[in-house]
Amino acid sequence: MEEKTNMTAERSLEIIRESIERSQRTIAKNSGLPLMWWGACVMVFALLIEYLWKNHGGPAWHLLWFVMWVVGYIGNRVIDKKKEAVPTTFVGKTIGHVWGTFGIFCGGIGLILGLIGCGVIPVKCVVPDIYVNSLLFMNITSIISLCFGIASTIMGFVLQNRPIQVCGLVAGFGGFFAALHFPMQQMYVMAAVALIGLVIPGLIVHFQSKN
Amino acid sequence: MFKPLDPLLHSELRLAVMSLLIGVEEAEFPYIKEQTGATAGNLSVQLDKLATAGYITVEKTFKGKRPCTLCRITPVGLKAFEEYVETLSQYLNPGAPK
Repeated sequence: MEEKTNMTAERSLEIIRESIERSQRTIAKNSGLPLMWWGACVMVFALLIEYLWKNHGGPAWHLLWFVMWVVGYIGNRVIDKKKEAVPTTFVGKTIGHVWGTFGIFCGGIGLILGLIGCGVIPVKCVVPDIYVNSLLFMNITSIISLCFGIASTIMGFVLQNRPIQVCGLVAGFGGFFAALHFPMQQMYVMAAVALIGLVIPGLIVHFQSKN
Repeated sequence: MFKPLDPLLHSELRLAVMSLLIGVEEAEFPYIKEQTGATAGNLSVQLDKLATAGYITVEKTFKGKRPCTLCRITPVGLKAFEEYVETLSQYLNPGAPK
């Protein structure tokens, strides 16, 4: 691009539109991969935990979720280093904060339940007696699915992307009720929620930015 | 009677730079260079002109041990850009209400 000052109004408008679109494409191109990576992590670990629980022991395998956080974080760092440097945008920051908040809440609930499971925290300190045997409280997959759906739907609204909004709604509502109705298949539900709420939106962002 | 277009923004490269910067918090020099396809020398000159007018700030810093030039749009630059686009729309739609 050169220093041309004898432009028509149409050409000026074209430059503005081209610059904004090219920049948005470059930024979007790099934001799909982390979504796909975290979604794949959740899917793989959910199915692995399901397999190990059924064939090699009990619910203690749920502690593998903490391994997933470490693996996911390391992979995310690698993706960050390999992708081309792009500027920070308000949209990118907002999406990061939404998923960060999701991580804090789900990680926090997981940690508390993990500490209960290990006997570090007495159950009575966290759950009143009347709820101890309640299926609704113990079905953490429902709650996490709902959080997944909320985060994914917000991302769809921020990106103004209707298919991602639909994915978020399906993942949230579908996961919430499916986990309640099929308590013995919770890990399959979690894998499906990760596929619909993270992997597919990641693929949508990735391919839309390429076109 | 048409309002004159801001001569500082009515240049291909400077307009492209401003269009890039309005959508981001800050952008590094290599990113702007790649997006605009300008040469480093020409881009530096145009960035200086925009910075002198107060439309952008240019901060020279370090990213680890590597020097890094960061550009940000200022409120003055944002207002100038908005006015430029508004004037442009009057050129394109002369009958439209202001």
